[in-house]
Amino acid sequence: MSTKVMNMQQAIDQFVQDGDTVFLGGLVAFEPYAAAHEIIRQRKKNLVVSKSAGMLILDLLIGAGCVRKVVTSYIWNPAYKPAHAFRRAVEQGIPHRIELEEYSFFTLGLAYFAGALDLPFVATKSLLGTDILQKQLSMSEKIKVLESPFTGELATVIAPLKHDVGIIHVQRADEEGNAQAWGPLAADRWGIASCSRIIVTAEEIVPSEVIRKDPQRTILPGFRVNAVVEEPWSSHPDYVPGFYDRDWRYFAFYHEATKTLEGFSRYLEEWIYGVKSRKEYLIKIGERRLKELRAKPWQSLPVDYGHYPIF
Amino acid sequence: MDFTRREMMVIAAAREIKDGETVITGTYWPILASLLAKKLHAPHSVLVFEGGIICNWAPTRTPLIAHDPAMLSCSVLCGDLFDTLGSVVHGGWADVGVLSASSVDKYGNINTTCIGDYLKPEVRLPGSGGASDIGASAKRLVIILEQTRGRFPEKVDFITTPGFLHGSNSRERAGLRHGGPCAVVTDLGVFRFSPVSKEMYLHSYHPGVHIEEIKANVGWQLKISPRLNETAPPTTQEIKVLREEIDPAGMYLRDARLDGLLTSEDKSL
Repeated sequence: MSTKVMNMQQAIDQFVQDGDTVFLGGLVAFEPYAAAHEIIRQRKKNLVVSKSAGMLILDLLIGAGCVRKVVTSYIWNPAYKPAHAFRRAVEQGIPHRIELEEYSFFTLGLAYFAGALDLPFVATKSLLGTDILQKQLSMSEKIKVLESPFTGELATVIAPLKHDVGIIHVQRADEEGNAQAWGPLAADRWGIASCSRIIVTAEEIVPSEVIRKDPQRTILPGFRVNAVVEEPWSSHPDYVPGFYDRDWRYFAFYHEATKTLEGFSRYLEEWIYGVKSRKEYLIKIGERRLKELRAKPWQSLPVDYGHYPIF
Repeated sequence: MDFTRREMMVIAAAREIKDGETVITGTYWPILASLLAKKLHAPHSVLVFEGGIICNWAPTRTPLIAHDPAMLSCSVLCGDLFDTLGSVVHGGWADVGVLSASSVDKYGNINTTCIGDYLKPEVRLPGSGGASDIGASAKRLVIILEQTRGRFPEKVDFITTPGFLHGSNSRERAGLRHGGPCAVVTDLGVFRFSPVSKEMYLHSYHPGVHIEEIKANVGWQLKISPRLNETAPPTTQEIKVLREEIDPAGMYLRDARLDGLLTSEDKSL
């Protein structure tokens, strides 16, 4: 058995340290809730958490006091309601003040791309004229306006973003960490490649032969990966294509439950601190709900890369 | 025929999309408007979602968010943000962007960041997501929101998504290539922008809405089009498709998505 395969508790313990800059993948699909819950359970502190759209994962990490700074483009409850813990932190400094580095989604993706490829910087037209550029002093070292050396037109140039550790959740990976995903990938390919240490969590670990039969699906090669965790239902309440649906009612429940500070603390106690693992969390959700959420098949036709004869 | 103000808003927004257009669709009301347009008068339109989905077919259930799993079985391309926000939007192929907004000002700038000072706001809003990118590079922009005075300030506290910035040619001077809002559609009326000053004006008031109510819900002295008329009321077909095919469970129209329970005794999607 590969030395990379471990459980979630071991992976977070070994590879996520206090003060780290952490990239988290996912955007509605592939949300790494199980990893985020474990980070909270292990009471990691002073993290800089980077995620293309924070959604409720950043709300949880901020409210639980794990975060010193967030790097993102959007933090909201997908039920189209506010992320209450995020609001409390920014409006009232509860549990403590956090630093914000806000991009637009495309410019954040470009920053990840530049980080992944180790480019000096990348250029775009996004953000020109906006207050994202003009009113955020924290961004003045990350985004600047220059004239193109070729045409003289104005462009925003974006500094590369790199991270100490990154976590993505995918449908399948082999024991080496070759990670395959299908669905809207958002900025994950680039965000994860910009990380020094990488944890891949997967719905299932599969033999390498499965990976080799469809290498186009691989979004991250195994040689980059430090830890591989098999953790089904990692993305609940959000979805993994082909595996399970969004638990849309859970977002309305979270909205009500976390409106107050007391409610948020109770939520953490019940759903995160009060369970030891994702498996225990799933027992709380209940098999009946899981059965409803499990995806019915919608399979593609197999592709054929061809078998080529020996000379 | 009875219709709600929300229904009128979605229908009026759908009418802004022409057949065959490539549409970059933000989350929330834009999803309903884009799908309705596609089912009614714009069957050849292509719907693009920022996280990597391009779809040319209608989904079988109401998407509750931009990357809802329902979109997977009707998409022709499923990639990442560089395929959509990159190639299609920044690359200049998005004919129209459709965005919701927390607030919009006289020059069509959208604020989804904060009310008050950025570092210590009175109200913190979600942030840009892909909206700022769409506002920068879509060839034109349709903005949809439910209207209150507070959501129509003369000048937004924070320009998250560029409209016409400070009016006149300030978009060009800021370095943006093209684009800008062509319509703001609310539950009260439809607003457009003067070609030279780029200032918002009232283009049409919805049936049953008085102009005084609209003016009272705008935070500046609203200009009125000399050709002001009533928005064409919903047709039987528009209402039927919206209610029966686009949002039959009222997930958006009646906020049914907020009837959150952890069990399934109640409505299904």
